[in-house]
Amino acid sequence: MNILLIDNNDSFTRNLEHLLVGAVGKACVRIESYANLENLSLEGHDFVVVSPGPGAAEDYPGYGRVFDSGLPVLGVCLGMQLLNAHFGGTTGRLPGCVHGQAEEIEFHGERVTVARYHSLYCTHVGRALRVTARNDQGVPMALEHESRPLLGYQFHPESFLTLEGERFVHHALRFFGLA
Amino acid sequence: MPCVFSASLDPARFDALAGILAGRFCTDMLLSSPGYAGESRSFIGLEPSAELLIEKATRPGRIKEFAFGPGGPVMGFLSYTYGLGLRSVESGKQTRFPHGHLKKYRAILKYDAAGETLEFFGEELLCSQAIQLVESIENFSELPPEVRLPRSEPRVSLDRAGYEAGVAETLERIRDGWTYQLNLSTRFTWSCPDLDSLSLFLGLRRRFPAPFYGYVRSGPYRVLSTSPERFLKVEDGRVLSQPIKGTARVGQDEKESYRKLVDSPKEGAELSMIVDLIRNDISAHCEYGSVRVERHKSVFRVDDLLQMYADVRGDLRADRDCIDLLLDAFPGGSVTGCPKQSSMRIIEELEPHTRDIFCGSLLVIEDERTMDSSVAIRTAVYDQERGLLDYWAGSGIVIASDPHAEYLETMAKAGKFLQGGTA
Repeated sequence: MNILLIDNNDSFTRNLEHLLVGAVGKACVRIESYANLENLSLEGHDFVVVSPGPGAAEDYPGYGRVFDSGLPVLGVCLGMQLLNAHFGGTTGRLPGCVHGQAEEIEFHGERVTVARYHSLYCTHVGRALRVTARNDQGVPMALEHESRPLLGYQFHPESFLTLEGERFVHHALRFFGLA
Repeated sequence: MPCVFSASLDPARFDALAGILAGRFCTDMLLSSPGYAGESRSFIGLEPSAELLIEKATRPGRIKEFAFGPGGPVMGFLSYTYGLGLRSVESGKQTRFPHGHLKKYRAILKYDAAGETLEFFGEELLCSQAIQLVESIENFSELPPEVRLPRSEPRVSLDRAGYEAGVAETLERIRDGWTYQLNLSTRFTWSCPDLDSLSLFLGLRRRFPAPFYGYVRSGPYRVLSTSPERFLKVEDGRVLSQPIKGTARVGQDEKESYRKLVDSPKEGAELSMIVDLIRNDISAHCEYGSVRVERHKSVFRVDDLLQMYADVRGDLRADRDCIDLLLDAFPGGSVTGCPKQSSMRIIEELEPHTRDIFCGSLLVIEDERTMDSSVAIRTAVYDQERGLLDYWAGSGIVIASDPHAEYLETMAKAGKFLQGGTA
């Protein structure tokens, strides 16, 4: 499986790469910097992962062609906020922001432990997106598009604090129809 | 004609030997102390035979060519400043201090404190002189004179108000998502024109043992490192990093201080973030599936402080070497913050000083798959020409940080130098 991982100058991108390879098996992960997004060829990939990163969605223009490419896209943290912004959603400061902490959330009917790193959160969810996981305070933790293979995780499945990181890759593959 | 010999020597006599060698020869030293999680072998290089002065423009290929060519091992340092270039962070600050300095030697002495074994490799003449010294070492009971820093107040780059304002600004950047954790430092400068920096170093080592002491000469500079922190060790391809995050003063009841440190959500989050960052930084050159975290939230005591750390391990890919690993992970995540590049940009903006050796690394490279390196914290530089001693201290700022508490932590880390070595 060929995966394109777009790196928003984050420091966890290779953790995502190792997670994807471990979860997918026989995966080839190509990492490309956000700086090359404009000229980046999306062809030949089975799905795209948009990495976490510093700053906010408005600091990263140009993702429209990725979300509208028809390819399955998984956005992690900033990647989810970018997906949300593309469909008209908004992002704002999270009161009492949280970094490097594990927390149990409700995910498709189960309690799972995930790592959170975020100063911002999706204050208003964009058109045709639905929240499929929230934490106990109601902060959106996962978004899915109603009809397209677009999925976002606010938490960090690649962190060592997330107890079963690979399950979230498997969930994405099932959602994309790739499993 | 190369010469090799080995001997048995206890740690106290080894320290005496190190002092004597440093007095008689031109030496650079990386000295460990026994009993620490980061314990390492000690290395003393005698009489440099080749050197590579690293500048901004020095390419990684040139460093490999020098380090992996004949005549190793290599000892020296890499400055934080070189890391700015590696991570594409612009800096307008001027510094005379080298971006790095690596050397090979006419002779190298390796010491394993656990096994109390000494090995010596090098030129015959140096070898015979060293053998004589080792044989006569029992007769050397005199210790170098106690050297203290001047009692005068040092100049500081960020005073209490400045440091606390820097923490407050960092908290705003955290709330905007530009950093999750950022290490903010201040620099202390003493004027001490006649300082005997070698005796100061040896005296500190005797009174405040730590796993990564280093004394390295570079032009007019003398680097005096008393670091407790390992950056990256590669041993036959097995990678180990031991990031430290979370500091507590040892209170009346050490067990209680320990429990408070380990149970603190703030200190735990600080360490976890850096562990995730180090996992990322070694993953570029480690085998898939090999990167793992062990002994998360372990604690050891050094300088009357409790320090929390974790072991991050991986297996170096067969087609990569330790300099690939070092340069992709440099500077160490525990002293930049996270995400690394964004945090380094903010540090450049908020700190009025250059870090130079501070937060760089002292290192020894034995071959393509064998290396050890420290994070150059609790480290000073003496400029012999100008008679100035610089020392830096800092702390990791996270959203739960209180500006005044972070200032106090920073001063606690500066203790052993600030109090003239009497802390």
